[in-house]
Amino acid sequence: MKEEPTSSQEEQEELKQIFPFVKSWRQLYILVLTELAVLIVLFYIFSKIYS
Amino acid sequence: MSTIDWIILVGTTAFIVIYGIWKSRGATNIRGYLLANQSQKWWTIGLSIMATQASAITFLSTPGQAFDDGMRFVQFYFGVPIAMVLISLVAIPIFRRLNVYTAYEYLEGRFDLKTRSLAAILFLISRSLASGITIVAPAIIFSTILGWDLTWTCVAIGLAVMTYTVLGGTRAVSQTQQQQMAVILSGMIIAAVIMILKLPPDVSFGDAVGLAGKMGKLNTLTLPDSFEGFIKDRYNILSGLVAGTFLMLSYFGTDQSQVQRYLGGKSVAEIRIGLLFNGMLKVPMQFGILFIGAMMFVFYQFHAAPMFFNKQEAQSVLQSEYGPQYEAVEQRYQELTAQNIAKAHEFVAARQAGDTEAVARHQEELMALQQQKKAVRQQGIALIQQHNPHADVNDLDRVFLTFVLTHLPRGLVGLLIAVILAAAMSSTSAELNALASTTVVDIYKRFRGDHFSPAHYLHASKLLTFFWGLVAIAFAVLAGNFENLIEYVNILGSLFYGTILGIFVVAFFFKQVGGTATFLAALLAEAIVVAMFALPQLGPDTFSWDIGFLWYNFIGCMCVLAFAFGFHYLGLKRAT
Repeated sequence: MKEEPTSSQEEQEELKQIFPFVKSWRQLYILVLTELAVLIVLFYIFSKIYS
Repeated sequence: MSTIDWIILVGTTAFIVIYGIWKSRGATNIRGYLLANQSQKWWTIGLSIMATQASAITFLSTPGQAFDDGMRFVQFYFGVPIAMVLISLVAIPIFRRLNVYTAYEYLEGRFDLKTRSLAAILFLISRSLASGITIVAPAIIFSTILGWDLTWTCVAIGLAVMTYTVLGGTRAVSQTQQQQMAVILSGMIIAAVIMILKLPPDVSFGDAVGLAGKMGKLNTLTLPDSFEGFIKDRYNILSGLVAGTFLMLSYFGTDQSQVQRYLGGKSVAEIRIGLLFNGMLKVPMQFGILFIGAMMFVFYQFHAAPMFFNKQEAQSVLQSEYGPQYEAVEQRYQELTAQNIAKAHEFVAARQAGDTEAVARHQEELMALQQQKKAVRQQGIALIQQHNPHADVNDLDRVFLTFVLTHLPRGLVGLLIAVILAAAMSSTSAELNALASTTVVDIYKRFRGDHFSPAHYLHASKLLTFFWGLVAIAFAVLAGNFENLIEYVNILGSLFYGTILGIFVVAFFFKQVGGTATFLAALLAEAIVVAMFALPQLGPDTFSWDIGFLWYNFIGCMCVLAFAFGFHYLGLKRAT
């Protein structure tokens, strides 16, 4: 018997339809937090270079 | 303003209003009116969230903030991406599964009616006052700089917003916010490009950035020098990451004016992507706006600037008995400005020649001139205050608009005024929409029963949007005529946020804690936060702690958690 997809599987599928390059929500969350970390590092460098 | 400016201003604003009405026609029930039939795509959600947060004051005072204090304000937004991830992970699946109209609706199922009502009422009080401030803050600036009548400016902004928000509900708010964001971003980019193009021919973009950096305006990352600095200093990396996250969690996760922006999303996936899209763009966007402020500082290193940007106060003191003294101070300021301009050119020449010693020397001299200018300006401000002790001496939110009116070509002035109006309208419309939904869903429908027809609730929603619009306009007019009211209302909002967040944190994460324990904890936490704010006002000798306002959210939230657990273990267990 074929199993009904769970809501989290449906969300995962929908994510892949909108952003094919992102495999999971976890990956997207990591991407957002990584961007913040990169921005903080860049801001630090920016402050240091121009101060 | 010239005729072409008026045409652009009125044309842009009218287009947005008409577009909002046209795109949102046809709602037949409150699901369509308050949740846009849950059909919104992720980019609509993301832009709508961004436009709701960015009010007119964001675009008026943020460049002024960088002009004066540098770019460190950007750290205030470090909490946004973290909050977006946490809300996507925890709150969205719950809100969506329960199919709620408001965030507070969830609290009744989780706790009880009194906790839901408490959160809804705290929101209604703070947001209804804030919606008036969203209108009056830019109106005051327009009235002092452009000479517009304050009352009529408030009424015009309020009526324009009410027209499409009453008729179209949530869909109208989201659709117009897309246009408003397009106007805002294009206007700000054009202003930045013109600012850089108007620098003297011998000053390159690299020189401008170099000068801003040497003058301490590119301080995008600052570390607290002590624990005291960590608590008192509003903007550093730690307060941004810790206290900022709590503030953003409160704002985006529990403030209905934001929650409503994403509850109308098509699916959990669309909502999450919309939130994360905002999380990724918010910090770079704020960086951009602050960078405009830093470039404006450089621009005024090569161009004369008024000593005090609030013309009305300056005119008032000039016509008083302090006039001759103020005139002498202003003359001294302009002499220093002339020296500053010459020194800035020498700095650029040394930089281009690669003469590091001369660069360091000119930097020191420019810094000394800045200090002198600041001291002279303080003398001017002191005279303004002697003349009028209640004078508004914070002129930073007028710096950018003064630049726009003085240095932008015809037509673009109208566009930039339209940017500010669009920002005011986008925030106000979201606030009115959220106030109406909370009143209809959490108060009217909940207490009068669910037995009326869908058309009845639709009419009630429209009527309440209209009512809150009138309240916002009335409060804006009142606030415009009472000094310090704006400041008190802003503080009031930040005093409630932590408590509301605390209630939601208990609801989401501590299932064993019941409604009565949480309700009592919220009341006690709110009393403590209000006391912490109010007691130092009695006098520095009585209570003298000095806490950055960001921390009230953290303290409020932690107090709710601690007391809720305390009451729970004292015997107020959850009813089974």
